[in-house]
Amino acid sequence: MPIKTLEVIRKRLEDRPAELNKLRENGQKVVGWTGYNVPEEIIHALGFIPIRIAIGGDDRLVEVGGRYASSKNCVFIREIVGAFSENEDPYIQQTDILAFDATCLQNFRAAEVIEYYFKKDVIVLGVPRNFYWEEGKEYFGKEADEFTRLLEERAGVSLDLTKLGESVALYNDIRKTLKSIYSFQAAKDNVISWVEVFDLIQAGDLLDKKEYLALLHQTLAELQALQHNPVIEVDGNDARIFISGSLIPRGDRKLINIITSVGGRIVGDDIWTGILPHLDLDIKEISPAGVALAYLNRTPHAALPYLDLESDRRLKKLHELLAEFKAQGVIYHTLRYCDPFTFKAKETKDVLAKSAIPVLEIHTEYAGSDYEALRTRLEAFVEMIKIKAESAAEVTV
Amino acid sequence: MSLKRNFFAGVDVGSLAAKAVILEDGKVFATGLVPSGFDSVESGLNALNLALETAGLKKEDLTYIVGTGYGRVSAPYANKAVTEITCHAKGANFLHPTVRTIIDMGGQDCKAIRIDEDGAVVDFAMNDKCAAGTGRFLEVMAGVFKVKLEDLGALSLSATELVPMSSTCTVFAESETISLVARGEKPANILNGIHHAIANRISGLFARVGITSDVFFSGGVAKNNGMKTAIEEALKVTIVKPEIDPQLIGALGAAVLARNFSKKEGLWS
Repeated sequence: MPIKTLEVIRKRLEDRPAELNKLRENGQKVVGWTGYNVPEEIIHALGFIPIRIAIGGDDRLVEVGGRYASSKNCVFIREIVGAFSENEDPYIQQTDILAFDATCLQNFRAAEVIEYYFKKDVIVLGVPRNFYWEEGKEYFGKEADEFTRLLEERAGVSLDLTKLGESVALYNDIRKTLKSIYSFQAAKDNVISWVEVFDLIQAGDLLDKKEYLALLHQTLAELQALQHNPVIEVDGNDARIFISGSLIPRGDRKLINIITSVGGRIVGDDIWTGILPHLDLDIKEISPAGVALAYLNRTPHAALPYLDLESDRRLKKLHELLAEFKAQGVIYHTLRYCDPFTFKAKETKDVLAKSAIPVLEIHTEYAGSDYEALRTRLEAFVEMIKIKAESAAEVTV
Repeated sequence: MSLKRNFFAGVDVGSLAAKAVILEDGKVFATGLVPSGFDSVESGLNALNLALETAGLKKEDLTYIVGTGYGRVSAPYANKAVTEITCHAKGANFLHPTVRTIIDMGGQDCKAIRIDEDGAVVDFAMNDKCAAGTGRFLEVMAGVFKVKLEDLGALSLSATELVPMSSTCTVFAESETISLVARGEKPANILNGIHHAIANRISGLFARVGITSDVFFSGGVAKNNGMKTAIEEALKVTIVKPEIDPQLIGALGAAVLARNFSKKEGLWS
């Protein structure tokens, strides 16, 4: 049974670019942001409209972006640069200010290129390489203060901590509701798929936050009416797939479509454009540094180093999510020249092998030329999981 | 007790060749191997018809057919489609139950596959959008030296030296080879270098999936003894001698699976 609110959200997304245009005509400003540690609550509390810049899947824009960045930059970054060059994306067209972070240094490079070639107003938030050290945390707090100051300059107002508190409460509610919805997709007899929830998460990057929260509550209410008590368990017919690795932005559905077309059921993810950034964000102090520190204390992005493989928070979280969503295999997806995830593929695979979790490394880009090769790999991986599950069931019987 | 004979077929349509194997009572009954054309359905049927003709059977005599290879996505003659990775695992296990690692080098890709004692895939890796280590690459090299594809291996084994080859990209390797020939290097020594360069590149796949003995070499390139020797040196392993044409292993695995699926579906007991 289709979830009616999802249809409402799709319609709202169609209308959103024109709506943003009107809001800008009335004097509001849009901040386009990208990065893993950008404290969006600060942007929101200053009265800006935050829009996440995350698009992919268009090989032509990658080619265009490569003329400005390097052809060795990841395809995501090249596409972003290409999109600014062409200025045809309806959301990119609406951005007044850009806020990038330096979690991934390729992201930092994109900020430089966009500022230099396309004369955009860009603010960059520095991110420490070592986030365990007090010095690292202190540095990030200072960066957050400076980030806030630069935004205040552009907003023409100072940050009101009461408003920041309200934004934090709004975002906390969004995160909490998203987490509740997410568990429904992984449940037995699910009425919402992971793909639908993934689209729902990404809708939040673009819609007005208060309206988005209301739509999330409405979605959750519909789900609760249809499926009172979601039970997450392995069904004999499923190959329960978890997606890890590089981000999958809006516009890029190649991998997801192939996985589902070969009979895989995606039940979880820990990707940058999926559920991960919404988990474990605990803001203890209402201040720019307090919000920033909470971001830093989440599961770290792969661009930051493994400081100790055994105690690494990213790998620990991956294990937790695999157990929670009862995943039977991990597709570790890396985009071409996405170094942070590519370099960590082997270690991740080895760590998961100790828990007998099969991992398939998939290296892809936005061109369609690898479609058949990807399908063979993904289909074989799904077959492998199903055969393994069947054998285990026969032994149990 | 049923007196009806049961025949099972596997059809593997690859980029360069289409292969078919007919199985009866756990034994290879007949095989067919034809070059692939543009029409993958026709290629698969040609291989199957050749095997049927050799066996003196009609298509109606087959209990179940499994299609595999890149042509599996359009195989209306098959009851089911399975990837070549799963099929090579089953085929190698059927012939040699002690095999735990497979190197499959076909016309357009190369795979490293680890399997368990039942022939189930444990892990695998494929070459990444590159012709190095594929039949197509060797075809290009055969063209450069103006020798038959099947003579490349023997020629490389006659080498007295190894001329290092830095490129495994088909286009760059072709131009590098032409430069080496112009420099006066002997074709056998250059080919020795080419085979070792490919073998070293393939070693990278095994860094991902690991190697456990016994090791099997399947696919059309497995007929090339020069490549077999180079891989044995690079991976420091001994490759199991195949009992049948190694190019037929995918089709054989598909036939084994046809037997398993049809039994599960109650088509015979």
